[in-house]
Amino acid sequence: MLGEEPWQNPALLAKIGFCPDYDFLPADLNGREYLRFVAGLHGMDSVRTATRVNDVLGIVSMVKDADRVMGGYSKGMRQRIKIAGALLHEPQLLLLDEPLTGTDPLIRKEIIDLVKDLNKVHGHDVIVSSHVLHEIERMTHQVALIYKGRSVASGDISEIRRLMSDHPHNIVLEGRGLVPLAQTLLTKPYTSSIELRPDRMGMYVRVDRPDEFFDSLPELVAGTGCELERVESLDDDLESVFRYLVG
Amino acid sequence: MSSNLIGLRTVAAFSARKLLMNRRWMLVMLLGALVALVMGYAATEDGANLDFASDLMVLLLLAFLLPVLSLIYGASMIRNEMDDRSIVQVITAPLDRRMSYLGYYIGLVMVLCLLITVVTFIGGLAFLMFSPERAGGAQLIVTFIALQYLGVLVYSALFLFLGTLMRQPIYLGLIYIFIWEGFIASVPGSIGKLTIRHQLEVVASELTEFGSVAWTSGDWAVSVLALVVITVALVLIGAFVFRQEEVA
Repeated sequence: MLGEEPWQNPALLAKIGFCPDYDFLPADLNGREYLRFVAGLHGMDSVRTATRVNDVLGIVSMVKDADRVMGGYSKGMRQRIKIAGALLHEPQLLLLDEPLTGTDPLIRKEIIDLVKDLNKVHGHDVIVSSHVLHEIERMTHQVALIYKGRSVASGDISEIRRLMSDHPHNIVLEGRGLVPLAQTLLTKPYTSSIELRPDRMGMYVRVDRPDEFFDSLPELVAGTGCELERVESLDDDLESVFRYLVG
Repeated sequence: MSSNLIGLRTVAAFSARKLLMNRRWMLVMLLGALVALVMGYAATEDGANLDFASDLMVLLLLAFLLPVLSLIYGASMIRNEMDDRSIVQVITAPLDRRMSYLGYYIGLVMVLCLLITVVTFIGGLAFLMFSPERAGGAQLIVTFIALQYLGVLVYSALFLFLGTLMRQPIYLGLIYIFIWEGFIASVPGSIGKLTIRHQLEVVASELTEFGSVAWTSGDWAVSVLALVVITVALVLIGAFVFRQEEVA
């Protein structure tokens, strides 16, 4: 990491700030005390500690609540103070593990904005791990897909999106008058298989080229006169890309 | 001050604070009250004197409270942080893990010394309050506090190491305390000398003239040296294990 062997290399840790996904903050300390503790672990003297604590509290917008005990913090505040702890020693690289886990949409937006600022305004290199692609998409365009500790794909997020759309998809269609639509779909080259439900109110369509399927669907629906109530791809997520890429 | 020393001081201070804030202090209070009750009651019996007080302190403090408190606090100190993963703060800091381990050890020793001082003082005071013989009582209390400080150094090193090494250190610790230190220490012959308790009693024989402990045979300097060597060896091995271990 950063050109150095990470194992048993404490000096390297001075260049890295790590924010785990799980909760480990001591409930009886307040935010400022916790940051002083982290500063001590990083060997920072009292003058630098006082300055940096105030700086990072400002960065994560926690100045107002820094003197409250952390046991009373909301999930978003806890995430912020954890990120502050990871930032305190001015690391070259920040590792944020699932920073949005368990947060509501409002806090999620605030943390996404904070992560973007950490890079754009404060100049930190940031690596965020997540299993939710659309959240990552709001923070960066550079992604790496890691499966069982190995990178299976990396690059611009549009490339990953293309991978997601190029691999076979299982699509659920629900509505009325699906039989003519199923018959028409069977004639299309991109359709691999169709499984009609016994009640004729739904079907599973497996397609090799999802983009072509979705492009042609409105015309097919209009042509066959069916009434669609639901169209959902079961494979439009990272997990299915993993499955596809690793066989 | 170097960054490693600041880190060491931080780990020691915060781990000591964490131990003191833990709800285990209720158990310590209970044990302290038990010691005070037994010693106070014993002082009211006929013929109660400082020899009797010394024997009681050996039994209640040296053989029971000291190792049990060291086990309760020492075995859970690093282990609990590994289990709840709060140790991540320490292991992701640029502080040599051996230094962190030393910080934990110092924090543990500070807390145990404080608790032992309080309990011994209260127990000794309870005895002296009801005892007809008080001359030399204060010196006896101070002697046993000092003796237990030496014991704290060794037992802390032992149980902190056990907690670092094992997921369930309490069971082995209890077996060690009650079988090895309790039973084996009372077996006649040389095997009984292979206990921390015996070595502490040898040191006690040099420090006090009260009670049967004053007649323990052995060279106190050798005992002190043996205890110090064991302590240093256990701290070094523990630090090495902590450095090598996958802890979170």
